[in-house]
Amino acid sequence: MGMSLSRLTEKTNIWPWLLLAPLGIYMLIFFVVPLADVAIMSFTEPRVSLANYERVLTGALYQRVFVNTFLTAAFVTLCCLAVGYPLAYLMAHSKPRTAMLILLLVTMSFWTSFLVRTYSWMVLLGNNGPLIAFLQMIGIDQPPQLLFTRFSSTLAMVHILAPYMIMNVYSVMKKIDPVLIRSAESLGARGWSLFRHVYLPLTAPGIANGSVLVFVICLGFYVTPVLLGSPREQMIAGLIGHQIDEFLAFGMGSAMAMVLLVVTLIILTIYHRRFGLDKLWG
Amino acid sequence: MNLFMRWTGILVVIFIAAPLVIVVPMSFSSANSLQFPPPGYWLGYYRAYFTNPDWLIPTWNSILIATATTILTMILVVPATFALVRHKFRGKSFADLMMLMPLAVPHIVMAVGYYSYLGDLGLVHSHLGVILAHTCLSVPIAFLVLSANLKGFDRNLERAAQSLGASPTKTFMHITLPILRPGLIISALFAFVQSFDETVVAIFISGRDAATLPRKMFDSIRQEADPVIAVISTLLFFLVLIGIAAPYFVSALRSRAPKPSRPAGAH
Amino acid sequence: MSYLQLSDITKTYGHFTALDNVSLSVDKGEFVTFLGPSGSGKTTTLMIIAGFEKASAGTVEVGGQSISQLAPHERNIGIVFQNYALFPHKTAVENVYFPLQMRGVSRTQGLRQAEDMLSLVGLKGFGHRHPKELSGGQQQRVALARALVFEPSLLLLDEPLGALDKNLREQMQIEIKRIQRSLGVTTIFVTHDQSEAMSMSDRIVVFEKGRIEQAAAPLDIYHRPQTSFVAAFIGESNLIPATISSAAGKTAENPALGAFDYAGADNALSDGQKVTLLIRPEHIKLSRNPIEGRRNVRMTVETIVNYGDNALVIGRAGEVTMRVRVLGADVVIIKEGEECCISWMPESVFVITK
Repeated sequence: MGMSLSRLTEKTNIWPWLLLAPLGIYMLIFFVVPLADVAIMSFTEPRVSLANYERVLTGALYQRVFVNTFLTAAFVTLCCLAVGYPLAYLMAHSKPRTAMLILLLVTMSFWTSFLVRTYSWMVLLGNNGPLIAFLQMIGIDQPPQLLFTRFSSTLAMVHILAPYMIMNVYSVMKKIDPVLIRSAESLGARGWSLFRHVYLPLTAPGIANGSVLVFVICLGFYVTPVLLGSPREQMIAGLIGHQIDEFLAFGMGSAMAMVLLVVTLIILTIYHRRFGLDKLWG
Repeated sequence: MNLFMRWTGILVVIFIAAPLVIVVPMSFSSANSLQFPPPGYWLGYYRAYFTNPDWLIPTWNSILIATATTILTMILVVPATFALVRHKFRGKSFADLMMLMPLAVPHIVMAVGYYSYLGDLGLVHSHLGVILAHTCLSVPIAFLVLSANLKGFDRNLERAAQSLGASPTKTFMHITLPILRPGLIISALFAFVQSFDETVVAIFISGRDAATLPRKMFDSIRQEADPVIAVISTLLFFLVLIGIAAPYFVSALRSRAPKPSRPAGAH
Repeated sequence: MSYLQLSDITKTYGHFTALDNVSLSVDKGEFVTFLGPSGSGKTTTLMIIAGFEKASAGTVEVGGQSISQLAPHERNIGIVFQNYALFPHKTAVENVYFPLQMRGVSRTQGLRQAEDMLSLVGLKGFGHRHPKELSGGQQQRVALARALVFEPSLLLLDEPLGALDKNLREQMQIEIKRIQRSLGVTTIFVTHDQSEAMSMSDRIVVFEKGRIEQAAAPLDIYHRPQTSFVAAFIGESNLIPATISSAAGKTAENPALGAFDYAGADNALSDGQKVTLLIRPEHIKLSRNPIEGRRNVRMTVETIVNYGDNALVIGRAGEVTMRVRVLGADVVIIKEGEECCISWMPESVFVITK
């Protein structure tokens, strides 16, 4: 067998294609086509035009929902960071046993269904719940409505998404060499300046990772805002669902879905360029 | 700084833990609404859950759909992962990226697509429809787990087996598969949980006939907040606890068991 | 009578030539070492013999029959990998039983045979352990037993000692050699460690840039290297560029050091030919004053590296850097920066033409 023959066999290696084909065909039929369907409907329902996008992008209601969604996602991300960073720090700097218990708790939370956690917040924030009771106990006779407000849905989303932030930040913190911190201390860095100039930059990749993940999930969050949020302050996913469920307005729903998709993909593309998408969920 | 972080961390632990454990006492509550702390305790809602077909059928649907989704996902993902991890070919990095796409698309967007598309195919409100949709959403998760395992697989093991007289098929059956088994199991488990927990797509396409447990819970929370939800939440809570704690326990038991020998030395 | 025959093996990856016309014949029962820096083609050659890589051209024959077209599992070749590649889900004895299992040997008989093999490699009673419960040296022995239990036509060892510490490595060198002799199996051993190659081999094959530089017995490789690369790669060497001034009178000339008498060369030489002269550092004597009957050169000492039992003295003679190996006790006569005399016999000068 000569050189040319072996070259030929190397070039026409069909094995990877054979192995990949079933999944490829499947994803084409049941992922790409339905997604394309959304894109097509956004231009063709109820008739071929750009009317849906015109309404979605210029209508006051829709604009308000988009802005609201964006601000909520940003706020939830910030809260997750505020909540997640200290906890990750606690995990990375406590005894292995304590760290493992906290990790167990965070993992538990991560794996517990969104619905279960959403339901828990209904109990906690409900009119007969412990928080209201506590407020009454300390002398607030007419406690504010907590449930079905922006407050309740934001709080629950922070709780639900915090594990993503914690896991990402913790995995970075755990890898920081303590020698690095000690040598920074020996060079005179203390307290805030040590944190600001050494610790924070070292944990930045974890923060970036966690923030992108939380922000993107939050942008398209359906369950919790619908169940716990104020009906008057919907987020985009809820509005899309509303269009489909209540009005069967596929054109409008699809157009909004496309806007949500494009925004999400832009954020992920920026992330992919800088870090590589496979690291985000790794 | 350090002390501040510590105390904030402890507060966060409470913030994270409280909602997880509160469902347990709630499930034994005798109140018929969301009252905490409960006025009294009984097992009535457990009986209600285990006898009411309105809850049992969605539970069964979810188990069925998640099982079928897992099998279908693994059938598709295992060969594809081998192709993507073990072979170099034109367009590989594109294919890698495509595998992750279902994770990047918000579920509500997919829900709109499936609602219309599966409707055209006559598959909405059917088990098959949900299985087909859930498989797409489980693929990237199963792939991520399995490819991480496969990348860490020492190919010399397969070479060794072949040099020792095992044909490629026998090598796969005797060496590759047994060594990859934990990775395959975890991958399948992730696919199962993904399907079992998936809510948004299920809300839109499962309908009444193929309603999954999350869909039923969603509807119920939205309408009357049936205390049975606390029962299901508690059961799910303990399932997750067992699932997460089991590996710890097993390894703890193993390490306590008398070692037959000194562990590996210099290498 | 050659047993393993490699003929004109070439391996290319795209435009890169990993192996360039490698030919070699190995006798039955011979212990041959492939030695060379990483990327020199030694491992690629091994993988082609094993069947994991396909040669772009050329053939591999064992016992007179071509195995080039056979799949790895049809070749009946035992291999020990650098990381041992023990199956983690099988015990030591199950690992050793595996090749017998693949050959249809019954479990009872196969396990007994595997136990016997483990005894031979000195692991009697360790059979029930899993690989991770064994030390590095023990894992190595299991891998060896597994590669030998099915009486392979060839044993290939791919840097099997690389992961062991120094003492264990020396112990395993002796052990592998003992087992190989007792079974008489034809063995190819790949390493980049020259002392390992020296101590274990019947023959050393030196690889460089996809070619065989030289294949010869260890002492021939050391004393009669055919190329400057081999001379520099094996042991320490002083390589002095020179011109043959008289092939008949066996003298060569270096512009800085003057005339050299030499005793040996393996190739025919002609006057005016450019050559390289090899003098091993241990063949050079260091003294205060010239020694009668030897070629003497004055050298300024630059660096002295002490190893305890011996020392390496590096200095400059003319424009040439010379390395001299002296006994530890002798080094006290000289200090860095001083001038001294170095001298050698014509028998210590070997002429390399390539």
